[in-house]
Amino acid sequence: METIFAYLPPRTDPLADGAPPGLRTAIQPCLSVAGWPTDAGAPALADYAALEDATVVSRLRQAGATLVGLTRTGEFGFGLTGSQAGMAVRSGAADLELVVDLAGESRLAAARAGIWGFKPSWGTVSRFGVIGLIPSMECCGILAGDAPPIGEFLRAAAGPDERDFSLPDEEAPDLSGGRVAAGETTVGVVVEALDALPSPAREAFRASLATLTAAGFALREVSLPDFPLFALVHQIVGAVEASSSAGRYDSVRYGRRSPGAKNWNEMYLLSRGAAFGTLLKSYLFQGAYFQFEAYEAYENACRIRARLLAAMAAATSQADFLVLPATNPAAPAKAATPEDIYAQSRFTAFANVTGQPALYLPPPSGEDRPGWQLTGPRRSDARLLAAGEHLRGILQGGE
Amino acid sequence: MEFEAVIGLEIHIELNCPTKMFCDCPNDPGAAPNANTCPICLWFPGAIPQFSQAALEKAALLCLALGGELQPRSAFDQKVYYYPDLPKGYQLSQAHHPLSRGGGIDIADEDGARKRLRIHHIHMEEDVAKLVHELEGRTPISLVDFNRAGAPLVEIVTEPDLRTPHHAMEFLKVLRTQGRYAGASECSMENGTMRVDANISVRPRGTEQMNTKVEVKNMNSIRHVGDAIAYEIGRQSAAVQAGEAVVLHTRLWDPDKKATFPMRAKFEGPCIPDPAAPVIELSPAWIETMRSRLPEMPAPRAERFVSRYGLAGEEATYLSADPELAAYFEALIEAGIAPRTAMHWLTTQLAPALKDRGRELGNSPVTPRRLAALLHLLSRDEINAQAAREVLAALFESDADPEEIVRSRGFRQVSDRDALGELIDKVLEANQTAVNDYRNGQDKAMGFIIGQVMQASRGKANPKIIREILATKLTSGR
Ligand SMILES: [Zn+2]
Repeated sequence: METIFAYLPPRTDPLADGAPPGLRTAIQPCLSVAGWPTDAGAPALADYAALEDATVVSRLRQAGATLVGLTRTGEFGFGLTGSQAGMAVRSGAADLELVVDLAGESRLAAARAGIWGFKPSWGTVSRFGVIGLIPSMECCGILAGDAPPIGEFLRAAAGPDERDFSLPDEEAPDLSGGRVAAGETTVGVVVEALDALPSPAREAFRASLATLTAAGFALREVSLPDFPLFALVHQIVGAVEASSSAGRYDSVRYGRRSPGAKNWNEMYLLSRGAAFGTLLKSYLFQGAYFQFEAYEAYENACRIRARLLAAMAAATSQADFLVLPATNPAAPAKAATPEDIYAQSRFTAFANVTGQPALYLPPPSGEDRPGWQLTGPRRSDARLLAAGEHLRGILQGGE
Repeated sequence: MEFEAVIGLEIHIELNCPTKMFCDCPNDPGAAPNANTCPICLWFPGAIPQFSQAALEKAALLCLALGGELQPRSAFDQKVYYYPDLPKGYQLSQAHHPLSRGGGIDIADEDGARKRLRIHHIHMEEDVAKLVHELEGRTPISLVDFNRAGAPLVEIVTEPDLRTPHHAMEFLKVLRTQGRYAGASECSMENGTMRVDANISVRPRGTEQMNTKVEVKNMNSIRHVGDAIAYEIGRQSAAVQAGEAVVLHTRLWDPDKKATFPMRAKFEGPCIPDPAAPVIELSPAWIETMRSRLPEMPAPRAERFVSRYGLAGEEATYLSADPELAAYFEALIEAGIAPRTAMHWLTTQLAPALKDRGRELGNSPVTPRRLAALLHLLSRDEINAQAAREVLAALFESDADPEEIVRSRGFRQVSDRDALGELIDKVLEANQTAVNDYRNGQDKAMGFIIGQVMQASRGKANPKIIREILATKLTSGR
């Protein structure tokens, strides 16, 4: 258990008499749990204990969930290096795991563990209490062994929160799902995403789609010529946002202050120097570089982001949902640099750039075939989950 | 060579909202250090800014009061610099999409001619924390008070339309009045709710070039702004004349030495759009609602005071510069007091009485209703002016109505002709010399006699009736 969890509470929350046991939930310490050492796996927050629960955490508690512990994570949950995301569910220690999804971590962790991974639409789940880095892209990601716990999470936690303005306050998201059926539902295949897969993974992925055709789904090729730009835009905008988000870790109000400084400047240099690991430092330097030395590149990235949003909206309108790979077999297994992380996130970063929902659907256990990443327009979360459940049935030969 | 200055002002105004701009902490920087802080304004991990509707409304009212055009869409940017007074490592400000563009202020220039000074834009901004440098034994330490961090500010950036210290001072005076009228801020440089930076450059008079400017800070009164600008114009003109180049930098005004001195500049980077604070979208309907909440502004109000109440231009400007004073004046008129009487009593009696007692019009026990009651007694000749002044003093000490004070203290004027006739006969008898002087053509003896009668009546005689009776009694023998 120590390999999976960074923190286990002395005793799990006692269950109310006679109440059915709620979801056993493991939390990545990037999500605040009041009084727990939610340090985001970062030296910058060593010894830090959250003052309040993140909204997702407090809503899960209200719905009867049991918090089992804090999982190990890399710095600020960025990338999977040092992260045990997915292992608590895989080992049976939890029904549900919450992680922060900055560039695709929930889907990549799910692929690694062979479980389900879901990134909700931006603005569906409150970000209050999420210790993040990239505010315009990050959100709480969900890992589970199957679809129902994810649905349960959404019903408990999604919807307006007066502490997070980014959630539309007029309406709760529609969580009723929607009908997915062979003969009525069109699945879009993103051509350029497949093209970016190296051989033989590309052929294997194409072959896996035959299951859909065999089940009576219409497959339609959808073109997104700028697909490779998603990861690039993510890196430039994400690094700039991370650089300014990390500005708070100055050791003035919290965090560890390095001794020996003679003035403010020295205190900043020494404390911030000790606050971040090498990979994160490179990322923050990249952000500072774009902000101060190559501002035009950053502005261009913002413009391209708007264009990519429009292109993706056009693509999602051509099918009921899109399917694309999640993992990049060409990426290094362990990320040592931001570039490694972006190689790993080549097929997942798009959903963080656009704010649309994305679901990783694992292959049936024991089968040697690629998992699928499903996506749809923003706020189609429930429909996507319903599609996932339906396809799981097909993959397991139940339909 | 004769020089002229090109001056632009950047004015920070602290809005008088009950809470800070992005959290619910009280907007009260003067409280015990760090009493008014929370995870949002201390920028703890996981915090999300919650934009204050009150701050938006106050800022919008101020923009409208200054003739600005509220933008349908404005947004916050991050002004990045690292300093302990900045919890985020950046200050939320509106660099790319300000709340309002345009607008301006009309002033009277040195010759009394009307001059328009344009405003480039007005944007919202959060204030930073306060640093206090102290000694702990012999070790210098710095303390940070975050009470002010996140306090709502607007920054007004003018066009470089100003040419003289006079322009700057007049601009600030009018701005202060407008800010108070809008109910947005007290706009006091002395109390730090209005802070002014001046950008100054010089050029040969008659040319149109824009030369390198110098920013001057640290003035804490409108007068100091004028002094600092005058000094800086002199310094730069002398430098240019001596063939030295003016370099872009920031200087601090030292009010004791009456001079500006260069300061070390803070590092500042470009502003990037903030992904965490909300984008502000204003509908035309909302803007109109705000406009309808704006009171009549001082300039049209002064014009109305002249045309409707017959005040002199100067009097009207004086009254309308202070929204409370102007409202008080109109309340007196509403209560049936003649405009001239109201103006006279406000400026020559009530204002000094308040000042003597260290009170403000806003918390004066002498409400318009009570003063009007007093002035009615005066106009109906029930008391005389001397008694009225004493009743006014009494109004500060008790809650009683003026009528009651007049009754209980015996201020009622004696207008009974028979009783006064008797009193006057006694006075004339006792002052034969003066009577003879008057009869021999010395008119000023009349004043002396009236004074004697007033004294004999212990101030209660009606001076009008004394005059009438005296006129009859004395002319008979003249
Ligand atoms: Zn606060």
